[in-house]
Amino acid sequence: MKNVIKILSVLLLSLTINQSFAQSDDLVNVCALGIGNATYLKDFKVKLPANSTTPTKFSVILNKGNMYKFVVCNAEGYEGKAVIQLSEANNVLVSNLKPDGTFAEAVGFSCAKTGMYNIMCSFKNAKEGAAVIIMSYITK
Amino acid sequence: MNKRISTVLAILIAGGSLLMVNCNGDGSKSKKDDFAIPDSIFKDKPLMISKEAMNDIIENISSPVEMAALIKSTGVPFNQKFLASTKNVDNLSTDFKQALNLGVYGCDLGYLNMYEKTGSIISNMQAIKKLADQLRIGHFFDFNTIKRLATNNENIDSLMYISVSSFNNMDEYLRENNRSDISSLLVTGMWIEGMYLACQVVKEAPHKDLVERIGDSKIVLSDLLLILKNYKSNSSFANLVNEIEKIKKEYENVVIHVIPGEPEMVEIDGMLTFKDNSEQVIDISDETLAKIITAIENTRTMIINL
Repeated sequence: MKNVIKILSVLLLSLTINQSFAQSDDLVNVCALGIGNATYLKDFKVKLPANSTTPTKFSVILNKGNMYKFVVCNAEGYEGKAVIQLSEANNVLVSNLKPDGTFAEAVGFSCAKTGMYNIMCSFKNAKEGAAVIIMSYITK
Repeated sequence: MNKRISTVLAILIAGGSLLMVNCNGDGSKSKKDDFAIPDSIFKDKPLMISKEAMNDIIENISSPVEMAALIKSTGVPFNQKFLASTKNVDNLSTDFKQALNLGVYGCDLGYLNMYEKTGSIISNMQAIKKLADQLRIGHFFDFNTIKRLATNNENIDSLMYISVSSFNNMDEYLRENNRSDISSLLVTGMWIEGMYLACQVVKEAPHKDLVERIGDSKIVLSDLLLILKNYKSNSSFANLVNEIEKIKKEYENVVIHVIPGEPEMVEIDGMLTFKDNSEQVIDISDETLAKIITAIENTRTMIINL
């Protein structure tokens, strides 16, 4: 009987994980609708527990002459609001967290140098959170 | 009795998992020949760079849409002749060949989408679907939706989004499931095809922005080689690395330097935007460009004739 319970638990866990993946994909689809006149390039999914001290980092190569747009969508059911920072060699270029503590819905980057850039994502006040970042570019 | 229930449940779960992996695919298995990639090559040998670094690099490279957009922005009209033929797709008998050519067709799909050539997309998509199924990642490619959008000439933005996100999801799945070797081939095929398209356009009309993009691809090329060299113990990968090394050699004379500028925060269409005012200068002579084009063409020819 113990084995049955174990197997059912595994089954339930796998279903939960699959549901979680499906939910993040749904959020990507919804978030992608919000990029306006930009063209979708990539999405980044972030989920961090409460009190997490290490932000999630993604590396991207951005191209000279292109204008990029980063849109952030927070998952429902979590307190945390995602803070993203675009940086180049440890220099923060732009963030969606404004100096007054409010959030910009989207931030842009007009790229002058092809190279590797980092997108760092954490949640304000280290609260538990889940979010999707959509990277898109704006056609000239 | 309990043991029997456990066994039945275990089989059901295992069967279910297999179904989930293979769902929507045609279930066909790739024929293995001398050039098939044995799993042991990747599982038994340590990688030269960490898995995280590999993921970072691979994630970086796959962006054929930007190249297609740049090509279109030059004003050069669409040219069907630039695209890879899908006639030989049935002859691609190994994971190695399938993954490389899937990348090629994926890039071509971006080019077709960018020019809104929806009528020509179907044969390209059928090739993509076939290769993706053979690589057991076909369930990420929403063939029916893409076909409907293309056939009805519906919302091009949606078509572009579904196409690009399908490839992103395939790539992500491969990397998460320890199939970075296949992922590296997928992005290599995409990158080579994107460069090939750019080179063909430049041969017709040497647009400055496009020439510069070919030049600054030197930055990506080193990363691409870094990941492919991880699998060099496989002869097919070794041949591919040798080909791409030839491209890299031609890039030695490309010089890239940056003139710093004062950045500024501006608001563009209501969006807070960081504007980098530095200038990246890419020195590439006509002779070097011609050699790069030839090297790219040779590698692309090798890939599509595998």
